[in-house]
Amino acid sequence: MKKIILCVAILYSGFTFAQDGGYFFGGFESNSQWLLDDKGLNFIAPEDQFRANNYFRLDYNLGKFTAGAQYETYLPAALLGYAPIYNGNNGIGTYYLNFKHKTLDITAGYFYEQFGNGLILRSFEDRQLGINNAMKGVRVIFTPLDYLNFTCIYGKTRNGFDISEGITQGIDANLDISEALKIEKIELSIGASYVSRHQSSGSNDSIPSNVNAYGGRFNFVAGNFYGGIEAIAKGPDVIANEGQISSNKLYDGTALQVDLGYAKKGLGVNATFRRLENFAFYADRLAEGNIYNQELISYTPALTKQQDYMLTNIYVYNAQPRLIIESYDQRAGEVGAQIDLYYKIKKGTALGGKYGTKIATNFSYWAGLDAEYNIENRWYEAKFIGKGPKLFRDFSLEVKKKISKKWSAVATFQNVIVDKGIVYGGPLEDEGDIEASIAVLEGTYKLESSKSIRLVLQHLWAEKDRKNWAAGVLEYNFNSRFALYVADNWNYGDTDIHYYSVGGSYSKGRTRLGVNYGRQRGGLICIGGVCRFVPENTGVTANLTVSF
Amino acid sequence: MKKLVLLFSLLLIFNINAQDNIPNIDLKTIDGKTLNIQEATNKDNFVIVSLWATWCVPCIKELDAISDVYDEWQEETGVELIAVSVDDSRTVKRVKALINGKGWDYQVLLDTNNDLKRALGASTVPLTILIKDNKIVSRHSGYSPGSEDDLYEKIKELSSEGNLK
Repeated sequence: MKKIILCVAILYSGFTFAQDGGYFFGGFESNSQWLLDDKGLNFIAPEDQFRANNYFRLDYNLGKFTAGAQYETYLPAALLGYAPIYNGNNGIGTYYLNFKHKTLDITAGYFYEQFGNGLILRSFEDRQLGINNAMKGVRVIFTPLDYLNFTCIYGKTRNGFDISEGITQGIDANLDISEALKIEKIELSIGASYVSRHQSSGSNDSIPSNVNAYGGRFNFVAGNFYGGIEAIAKGPDVIANEGQISSNKLYDGTALQVDLGYAKKGLGVNATFRRLENFAFYADRLAEGNIYNQELISYTPALTKQQDYMLTNIYVYNAQPRLIIESYDQRAGEVGAQIDLYYKIKKGTALGGKYGTKIATNFSYWAGLDAEYNIENRWYEAKFIGKGPKLFRDFSLEVKKKISKKWSAVATFQNVIVDKGIVYGGPLEDEGDIEASIAVLEGTYKLESSKSIRLVLQHLWAEKDRKNWAAGVLEYNFNSRFALYVADNWNYGDTDIHYYSVGGSYSKGRTRLGVNYGRQRGGLICIGGVCRFVPENTGVTANLTVSF
Repeated sequence: MKKLVLLFSLLLIFNINAQDNIPNIDLKTIDGKTLNIQEATNKDNFVIVSLWATWCVPCIKELDAISDVYDEWQEETGVELIAVSVDDSRTVKRVKALINGKGWDYQVLLDTNNDLKRALGASTVPLTILIKDNKIVSRHSGYSPGSEDDLYEKIKELSSEGNLK
């Protein structure tokens, strides 16, 4: 409490300065739920029926200096499915002071950073996922020349309202070759990163106290073609499972990502290949694989298309970077690729019609690494690509068409195959695959003065798991500020459960309020390729955001 | 409870005192060059900054809808739209393919680790902000069909006010 009063006092005094060119910015977000018993779902509301996550962020800028803090409360309890370390807590989660002038950018306190694709290091915040792995320490970005910059970091990773035991330090350098050498025909740039985690190993000599990772990357744009490659090697480290070291041997790890694309007006193609072998990097060696994604250093999201509809989000992929050598489960990593194609059929053609037709398609295939395991000796040997077990395969096609000034429609088809162990957790390749096909039709009708109606009809066909589903959403926009919806996901193939919900949102200027009542289908909630499990529940949720 | 009251009173204070400056954040162009958002939005005419992502359906609907009328808007008011992608490294490689596949004529910038999104206090996308003379004059989050018309009305209304001065 004292801390808060102090903060308010400091901020208040800041107002006098605010008149001299400084300014405040920030935001407030409140996500709350009131859980209710629901016999139909066999859901019994926990003792803490009311739960809320609140974030209050305030920043102040005065010339070259910016300072800020974020106050968070998870009171009386955190939302269902969030990391227990937040539950019932509150406090200043992050704070920082930044100086930025010409070639120098220095931050002390908490900071967010990403090196390259984030494979070697990414600290970020995602409130819906309950991830905030900001680093507490010092960051210096030095840009001596337009085409050259260096980023140095040193600090510990945020873990709830605490910080990690391990210290992470790193340096990242980027050089824009075409600008340095005044090449105009093609864009070329290279980058290199080094990240190291130091964590005391106590009296145990067989555990390394320092784990180093090195990476390099190269990006190009040549006419309509573009692409890049990034490779990371991580030094020997222990592997851990559920907070216990699970082998007395040390294993190194690698990550490789290759992107290639072609884009000109009306057509875009993008392909990505990625291979991960024992590539889990956490700020604490024992945090490996924790289901709440806390204390992450490396960012290895699932590289699949993020689907948009309720039924296309039941069978999703979660990346598999880890090494596990147990009698009941063996994994060494993943390898796979995806390709996207976007195409616009021109206006005025037979298929394009008056407004043109937009097509988007995606294919992805992800397999476990093809490896031989010696479980007794806790050793393994993996092939580069090989024929590892299929974990996920997805094909989707989306056609978008504006039919008239009033009507627009979207048709989506998806066929997905996923290993049951990915969907429900637990050992892979044990319970076989689930194959599902999903069709979605969406129509929007625009009435006068920004009133509109939207209807979405969805169906999922599956032979296994919970079999067939049907779903629908009806939304009415009274104007650009106020909307109401009703939705239902009905699993008629197996459980006969309706996951219904009704809700609305109001948005004006800096404020947005959303309120929903209904049932939440349990399972993986994935944002940006990172997933968390949410248990089935029923209740009222409210989300308020204000920015200023 | 005390804390909540405090929080809300703080909220009120800052809401009243809120200023409309554009944060000093470096973004990347689609070809990997660094560009500060203050520099990018420093134009004589109105600038629309739209925070969007390749995985965000309403964002794409909004940018598609504006794309259909963008020529007219530019002719009549000289307004420019900067589409700032908040895609992270999972999906950022799709951005270039998507904007070309859609045939959008916007300037596209990348906010890969969401520095601008955080600084603008945007918890969800789309967030559409309207900028004139380096100040944010209006903001709207979410998209419903037709809200692009409201935005354009706003631009015309504000530009006629400007002419009277």
